[in-house]
Amino acid sequence: MSHSASSTFDRWSGGTCPFDAGWRKVMMWWFIVTDGLLFAGFLAAYGYARLLAFHWPDQAEVFSLKYIAAMTFVLISSSATMATAVDAARKGARSTALRFILLTAAGGAIFLGMQAYEWSHLIAEGARLNANPWGDAAFGAYFFLLTGFHGTHVLTGVIILATTAIRTAMGRTQAEGVEMAGLYWHFVDLVWVFIFTLFYLL
Amino acid sequence: MKSYWLTWLILLVFTVVMLWADSASLPRSAFVVFMLAAMLTKASIIGANFMHLRFERATLALTVVVGLLVTATILYVLIAPDAARIHEMAGTYGPR
Repeated sequence: MSHSASSTFDRWSGGTCPFDAGWRKVMMWWFIVTDGLLFAGFLAAYGYARLLAFHWPDQAEVFSLKYIAAMTFVLISSSATMATAVDAARKGARSTALRFILLTAAGGAIFLGMQAYEWSHLIAEGARLNANPWGDAAFGAYFFLLTGFHGTHVLTGVIILATTAIRTAMGRTQAEGVEMAGLYWHFVDLVWVFIFTLFYLL
Repeated sequence: MKSYWLTWLILLVFTVVMLWADSASLPRSAFVVFMLAAMLTKASIIGANFMHLRFERATLALTVVVGLLVTATILYVLIAPDAARIHEMAGTYGPR
């Protein structure tokens, strides 16, 4: 047996991890995959509704795309601050990590505030789960479903970040804990890339 | 740390270009292809650089990426033709 075949066999023979990662990270990745599939299901259902619709509203008439772009800017920026926090935590720079975790949480809170404003604005204009003034009824349902489910993830992320910040300030979080919070936060950003493109732009 | 802010800049440039494409009067098929390509590129950049998948062992990266992409593709490929068929039938027999 060659060396590479032997080492592959060793990795899969039990007792060692084929992914060469800690159990926390592997579990976080499994969570991300399953949660990602949930969003994939929602987006597939949205695509289905869109194909069925006789009159899907023109997004440019319903949304202010500049406003949605600003929300995207906030979320992308918060992902960069989170990556910086993870990097600082790995290097043992606790105060820098804490500062960037707090910046990330602030970015998440700003995003949520902007989304709340967008929701209240559209509700005032007549958007409902089962009806809306612009076109096919499914439009309102999928708008609230997709952005609401994503917003819930952002809210959860802000809570996780606040907890991580408190624990970091107390010196009770290891670098891996900050990395796990970071993985979740980047996943929230990743999902927004799909929602932004498929729901708001296409 | 520098590479994270470079990634941030690249993502912003992609977002601005996507918004420009939305306002430009591109043919619909070219617009859709461009948007899907830009979306997948942005997602790959986030996964590779922010989520550090490019530094992980290939078995982990492949399990995550292939698992997600294949299952999501199955969802679209199996559902979309069905939706198109129903759409066609609705067109034949009138609105719901």
